[in-house]
Amino acid sequence: MFKESNRSHGLESFIAPESEQNSQAQIKVSIQSNVAHINLRGKIKHRPFLEHMETVLDQKLPVKPNTTNFENHSIFWLGPDEWLILCPLSEATKLVKDLQGSGGSMHAAVNDVSGGQIALRLDGNHVRDVLAKGCTLDLHPSVFGQGMCAQSNLAKANVLISMGHEPHAFDLIVRRSFSDYLLHWLKVAAAEYTTEWSES
Amino acid sequence: MQPNRLKTGGRINRSKPLNFFFNGKAFKGYEGDTLASALLANDVKLVGRSFKLRRPRGIVGSGAEEPNSIMQVDKGAMAQPNVRATQVLLHDGLIAKSTRGWPSLRFDIGFMLDVFSSIFSAGFYYKTFMHPRPFWKYYERFIRKSAGFGKAPEHSDPETYEHRNAHCDVLVAGGGPAGLMAALTAASSGARVLLADDQTEFGGSLLNTATHVNSKPGSEWVRQTVSALSKLDNVTLLNRSTVFGYHDHNFLTIVQESDDHVRQREWRVRAKQVILSQGAFERPLVFCNNDRPGIMQASAVSTYINRYAVCPGERAIIFTNNDSAYQTALDLKRAGATVAAVVDSRKKGGGSYAAAVEQAGIPLLYGHLITNVSGQNHITKAHIAKWDGDNDAIIENSIKIPCDLIAMSGGWSAAVHLHSQAGGQNQWDHNLCSFVPGAISQQTISAGAGNGKWALEDCLQDGHDAGMSAAKRCGLQPIASEQLPAVSEIHTTPIEPLWRVPATVDPDRCPKQFLDFQNDTCVSDIRLAVREGYRNVEHVKRYTALGFGTDQGKLGNINGMAVLAETLGKPLEDVGTTTFRPPYTPVSFGACAGESVGSLYDPVRKTAMHDLHRSAGAKFENVGQWHRPWYFPKRGESLDAAVARECLKTRQSVGILDASTLGKIDVQGPDAVKFLERIYTHNVGNMSVGRCAYGIMLGEDGMVMDDGVMARIDDQHFYLTTTTGGAAAVLSWLELWLQTEWPELDVFLTSVTDHYSTIAVSGPNSMKLIEKIGCDIPLTSDQFPFMSIRNAHLNRIPVQLFRVSFSGELAFEINIDSNYAAGMWEVLIDAGQEFDITPYGTEAMHVLRAEKGFIIVGQDTDGSVTPVDLRMNWMLSKDKDFIGKRSLSRPDSLRDDRKQLVGLLSNDGKTVLLEGAQLVEDPAASIPIPMCGHVSSSYMSSCLGHPIALALVAGGHSRIGQSLYASSGEKSFVPVTITNPIFYDKKNELQNV
Repeated sequence: MFKESNRSHGLESFIAPESEQNSQAQIKVSIQSNVAHINLRGKIKHRPFLEHMETVLDQKLPVKPNTTNFENHSIFWLGPDEWLILCPLSEATKLVKDLQGSGGSMHAAVNDVSGGQIALRLDGNHVRDVLAKGCTLDLHPSVFGQGMCAQSNLAKANVLISMGHEPHAFDLIVRRSFSDYLLHWLKVAAAEYTTEWSES
Repeated sequence: MQPNRLKTGGRINRSKPLNFFFNGKAFKGYEGDTLASALLANDVKLVGRSFKLRRPRGIVGSGAEEPNSIMQVDKGAMAQPNVRATQVLLHDGLIAKSTRGWPSLRFDIGFMLDVFSSIFSAGFYYKTFMHPRPFWKYYERFIRKSAGFGKAPEHSDPETYEHRNAHCDVLVAGGGPAGLMAALTAASSGARVLLADDQTEFGGSLLNTATHVNSKPGSEWVRQTVSALSKLDNVTLLNRSTVFGYHDHNFLTIVQESDDHVRQREWRVRAKQVILSQGAFERPLVFCNNDRPGIMQASAVSTYINRYAVCPGERAIIFTNNDSAYQTALDLKRAGATVAAVVDSRKKGGGSYAAAVEQAGIPLLYGHLITNVSGQNHITKAHIAKWDGDNDAIIENSIKIPCDLIAMSGGWSAAVHLHSQAGGQNQWDHNLCSFVPGAISQQTISAGAGNGKWALEDCLQDGHDAGMSAAKRCGLQPIASEQLPAVSEIHTTPIEPLWRVPATVDPDRCPKQFLDFQNDTCVSDIRLAVREGYRNVEHVKRYTALGFGTDQGKLGNINGMAVLAETLGKPLEDVGTTTFRPPYTPVSFGACAGESVGSLYDPVRKTAMHDLHRSAGAKFENVGQWHRPWYFPKRGESLDAAVARECLKTRQSVGILDASTLGKIDVQGPDAVKFLERIYTHNVGNMSVGRCAYGIMLGEDGMVMDDGVMARIDDQHFYLTTTTGGAAAVLSWLELWLQTEWPELDVFLTSVTDHYSTIAVSGPNSMKLIEKIGCDIPLTSDQFPFMSIRNAHLNRIPVQLFRVSFSGELAFEINIDSNYAAGMWEVLIDAGQEFDITPYGTEAMHVLRAEKGFIIVGQDTDGSVTPVDLRMNWMLSKDKDFIGKRSLSRPDSLRDDRKQLVGLLSNDGKTVLLEGAQLVEDPAASIPIPMCGHVSSSYMSSCLGHPIALALVAGGHSRIGQSLYASSGEKSFVPVTITNPIFYDKKNELQNV
């Protein structure tokens, strides 16, 4: 009767058509639209919580501040009692349900926040130079390497920055309502380099 | 044809000639020139007029200290006002104009000021134009017109600027011999080193002089060192980059001149250690008419010869009280100029250089002074007299020697600016006649000439040592140089201070002896200030303008302070310096702003439906950083007409609103009820699962802080909404209580503001619309009553469905994953065509809620309004404690004349009151008229056919039916009647259908 409600991150205008993609670009920006974002809160001192979560996730929760664990899902430390889990979109419903578990005394909060966050991957030798224009953190490899993440500002937006799986790849996670601003800023900041804007 | 250009030498590129214009005339220079060196090469002697006295001025210096050649460079949007010609790199087609001189530079009408200069002494403007007082506004017009330098650009700047954050172990400010040596040494430890220098090329004094290092020209050692540094991954080299600010926590700011991508870049550097090697400034000598074009710093003359292959004169005289200017004599001689004499105020001088000067056949006049010069627009003769060293002597007999250039040197002042900005102390060194860095207050090491090390050998050693210390302080292991670069040993004759040349008549009546060229501050001004009672150097500065302007006293301050000390009869160290503040040199607004201009000035937060609203022709308004649809005009429709239509259609059929910007917080945990009971005023525990409640939270002062609908999703699971503007603050507020006061509570908060988009569907046909698009739960009031929440699927998409209303109509709010929100909006609009669905904006939303007397926190409240003032007593639970409860029983909270929320109707039934208008009882009362309240919300209600308003009125709740007057502009008042604040559907029947 009515057209299907299409899923949309609202950033389609930034993505260049396939014919204009430039695989040789110095900076590659890709919008990670096929991941689900799950926010997890709970107290690690509460043993049943930790055991349950690590069993379901099949990996450890990173407990050291500003670190990540990418063994199975991508898990980011956000605070002493807060984590962000990224998983493939198709697995999200089941994972949320499993994490929530049964019974109401889990001492935890599991929220699917996929609609509220945009994940970006920035790849290329000059990514650090671009980020340095808007981020006051020291992102030098000797200070901020693989396995690290940090919540800070990029330009005037709050972001979660982390080193990706590749040596020059950074993952950025930004609130949806700031994503249009942040991508505009990235366009300006990366203007001196050749760039490729895609979606994956 | 560049008459003063040397055939060989210099660091300019003769194969790249550049055209430029100065005051409308075409000239040629070379790549590598500054505007100043190109002007001197073309024998342009007159470059500007002085600020106050309009005296003709020429180029004095070669760097940041230059006071006279203040230019307007380029035109239109690209115009740069007030830049120093010495710091402008020449580019092809450059257009420069003197910032002063009218009608033309050569015949400035302001010369009259100079003729009567004796009356234009310190404080002239203060003294003259204060009387009679009311006349200042007339004087001001003319004074403003004749004051100031260049003109601001006429259009917005088309160029881009950017910021760049950097972190390093060691920041080296200044790339002369000491800085290069420091950077090299520190870098040997693997330290992350950032070296910044304001010149195009690194090397500092080594490029300005004919000094040899390792038996080769100094420039060769510079080339090797810079090349070695540039190969290191741990070193960043920034040329054309001025460190202009040294702030707390070793945070420094640098402005870098343009490259291919941006016009200027502001570096914001966080350094573990800072090495300051900014060199020293040469001081002028203070004699009569020492500001005439043709009188330059000796070091600047050497710089123009060695670095730019420009010899600024044919027949020169050196005037000095120290040895360094002897090198200038040799430089001039080598450049082919005649050096008529070296005039040295000392009995003996020149050190190692004296013999060479003598060998070159240059007459050495020891124990002599230049007392005055001849020539107006350019010097023609120097007046030279013998002197026995007595400061109070009156010198009468002088001989006049023809010359077109005087190279003067009054000694050197270490550039302690950044050290001082960082909070460091300065101490006076009697032997050097200079302030040198004393105690430090940050992680700073001064080195080289900036640390009072004048000799090249000492500079290199000092730089090396500084590099070692800085790296070690970072916990790294630098490699000490076994042998420093070899330089020829020299011996020096000590400087003898000469702060002021004794005058032919007394210093208050002789021709002017300038201290600060840019501000026309003379010896006589300082003496006058002291006679008028000024003692403190900061006061004297402000009274005489000593050290103001673009050069901030880099040239004249120390001489000025010395004259002040002499006049006060105090030692110089007791007079002290004025405060050094950032910026070191002027910085453009563009560099300060960086990328944050235009649409990037402030983030625009957009909802998931933003583009759909734009396509629908919505006008937007800013709500915090959000852009929300304000109203949706049809073609040619005004705001008022559109809002009237949107309100009527919503009440008649169905309207649709994007309410996504509401703050949304998920609350879970075993102690959720306990926590929320303390936050909200109502009984949260009494709510059953699936029910909603309107909640307010108070500050500790008992004042309304935020409000919103909250819902109980499960036993231990709640969902809260906050106002759009309060979202972040409320979340922080809740976390603050949880983390600091009630850590024992097991409750977790998660912001879901961006995850859920919220679509409000309001009006009698809203239920039909929801049913039409496919809803898998029953919607009737018996199964889904007003103020409830259900999980549902709409058009097969999972949503949270709320039966709540902010319009007083039958209404639903749909919370949906933002990725699907735009799709859902389109589906609702399509399906709603049958009901003539009307999208409405924030303005109609405000009208609809005001018709129902619903408040907006922040509009109808202002942080001084209690729930009792809003007649919300029913929401204050008596069974429990909550934040702010106790404050409600303070005597002030119980006053019955507090401002209370009421409705207002204008008596004529037509006038829409002004929001913010003050309310008075008697407009005829004498001024100031006592005020008894103000209008907080006011709209034309199309549904009621007359205007309505909400107001806060003193004791308002007991004054229903009384009359007041609302101010409606200057001396005009509208009679109004106080009413109940609910105007529409007073029994609240519609929302419950």
